[in-house]
Amino acid sequence: MRNSWRHHLAARAPRYTSYPSALLFTNAVGSDAYAARLSAIAPYEPFSVYVHVPFCHRQCWYCGCNMRVENNYDRALDYVSALLKEIETVGALLSGRGRLVSLHFGGGTPNYLNTDDLGRILDAVELAMGLTDDATRAIELDPRMVGEHDLDRLTALGFNRVSIGVQDFDPDVQAAINRETSFETVEQCVSAARAAALNDLSFDLLYGLPRQTTASFSETIDKVLALAPERAAVFGYAHMPSVLPRQRLIDSADLPSPAARAALAELADRRFCDAGYRRVGFDHYAKPGAPLADAAQAGRLRRNFQGFTEDAAAAIIGLGASAVSFVDGLYAQNAKNIGAYKEMSSAGALATEKGYVRTPRDQLFAGVFEDLLCERPAAVDSALDALPSERRARVLERLRALQADGAVEWDGHHLKLADDAWPLARSVAASLDPYCDEEALFSAAL
Amino acid sequence: MDEPTDIDINDREGLRVPNECAVSRTARPSSCELCAVRENSICADLGPRELAHVDKVMARRTVPKNKAILMEGEPNDSLFVVVRGSFRLSKLLEDGRRQVTGFLFDGDFVGVRRTDESAYTAEALEESYVCHFPHQYLDEIADTSPGVKDRLIARGQTEYHKAQDHIVLLGKKTAEERVESFIHLLDTAIGEDLETGLRRVPLPMPRQDIADYLGLRLETLSRTLTALKKKGVLSELKRNAVVLPG
Repeated sequence: MRNSWRHHLAARAPRYTSYPSALLFTNAVGSDAYAARLSAIAPYEPFSVYVHVPFCHRQCWYCGCNMRVENNYDRALDYVSALLKEIETVGALLSGRGRLVSLHFGGGTPNYLNTDDLGRILDAVELAMGLTDDATRAIELDPRMVGEHDLDRLTALGFNRVSIGVQDFDPDVQAAINRETSFETVEQCVSAARAAALNDLSFDLLYGLPRQTTASFSETIDKVLALAPERAAVFGYAHMPSVLPRQRLIDSADLPSPAARAALAELADRRFCDAGYRRVGFDHYAKPGAPLADAAQAGRLRRNFQGFTEDAAAAIIGLGASAVSFVDGLYAQNAKNIGAYKEMSSAGALATEKGYVRTPRDQLFAGVFEDLLCERPAAVDSALDALPSERRARVLERLRALQADGAVEWDGHHLKLADDAWPLARSVAASLDPYCDEEALFSAAL
Repeated sequence: MDEPTDIDINDREGLRVPNECAVSRTARPSSCELCAVRENSICADLGPRELAHVDKVMARRTVPKNKAILMEGEPNDSLFVVVRGSFRLSKLLEDGRRQVTGFLFDGDFVGVRRTDESAYTAEALEESYVCHFPHQYLDEIADTSPGVKDRLIARGQTEYHKAQDHIVLLGKKTAEERVESFIHLLDTAIGEDLETGLRRVPLPMPRQDIADYLGLRLETLSRTLTALKKKGVLSELKRNAVVLPG
């Protein structure tokens, strides 16, 4: 990052995986409002499904997801029953309308569930919402939990995209985050995936972890490049121990400084780009020819809860505890508490706990931020006109300063991030964002 | 899947008529009277004078397998009637995936409204025969024969009926219900009595099209068909037909 840009880097900024941030969701939006939107989905309207599996065998201390260490598989089976019931409830509201184009299992650890139970979930989705062979099926895997024939079974179930949680290969770093995964374990998982004809592999990496140095992270990236995944996501670790008690197990003194974090992010970027990957958005890398790289190239990139995606469906149906749905400007989040979720779903009710309905102003800004973060010129006039005049003047001043430093291309109407200014993406968005006066709510911007 | 190719519907030189309507192009004025389908449905309600009008403006043509008579996103100004054969209706989703939305059989209509951008693609599943009537002429004869267009399509099913059928079918909660309903739809449209007293229902479309149409995985469709055979709901299960008990 150019030195002249460093002062533009906000300390904290939203991730813009939803707009506005899930922190603004309230219980004013409940299951009735969500049910009404589901019932209004049009015939053949494309939608995606996200299934949350909140169980893990071990606790990774950095984790910011809704998860629980569960050693009793019977309790996971109860959860699966609640999921099957929720699928039925949502299916009845859709009653044949809409068209499922992609299905994503996230966690937690989705492969905590055995492949038979994953198969039962797919069967239920097929009967309630329709599931055809051309729908994308993706699953996040903990490589330590992958059994000998699991990848063959996943292929047989039609999974065609696998993302493998790696985070960092360095033993010191792994000890500091309580996630010990050997290179051999990941290597075996990758070989099994390749042997099972799974040719869309993604690795998740984290920078900003305790005890991480540019030297150790560079070695991690060497190993990743040797395994040649089709894509990689390099997320910044969000250390928020006041919100996530488990992160208190991480010694803050071991964390890299903000400058060191930035150096790690830039190292990863340089290494992936030098190895021929295309940067996608500000934290994904994809081999040319991978669908994500093609989507970025063609200006079709999107941003949703999974990060940057080529999924074109505007509607997302979230299933499981804490899962977020987005239908026609309405966000609906299921109960985070697994027990509460199970109770509501099993009774045949939607498990919506809170949500948000975008205002017309939100819609304008959501469009601006998606374009801006997804490498497209964003038409900002109507969004800026929706701001109070004092705020608008301040934003314009910021944009002119960013433009003077070459961080954005700005002709007074269209705003585009400069090619190398990806580290500033969230900060630039936040400087326009009417909700960002309280930046303390959000995580580190890089 | 082969890319659908449009055929030039204005190219009347290529006209060829099926055996059932064996008339030459020069004898076209009598073609409607000889048309087998007219007896059954399509033009049965038209009086002789109307039929003469219709006969003047319509053209009949052969559509080779995989050719499209209607292309999504392109203008269409003709009403098509399937005289014999079958077509797949489909539309592209935003991300390039294709959705099979229905099938047309003898006596069905497509292109019911004149449009600058057709909402569907209609491709022949086999060599098929269609009549097409330019909307402009149908509107002109409407002055002398009021309601002719409505009566033309009243007897057959249109793409709009097909879409309604489809959503109802997709809302069914088990794979068996979906597959049985589908076979019933086909039986009503193109099922035929066999000498043995059984019913033969042709399946002119590939299994993958049926699976996509029913919102099922191919494997689920195959498993369900086998299960229906085992239960005796189907007497025979072949690649391009099923036989139902009488």
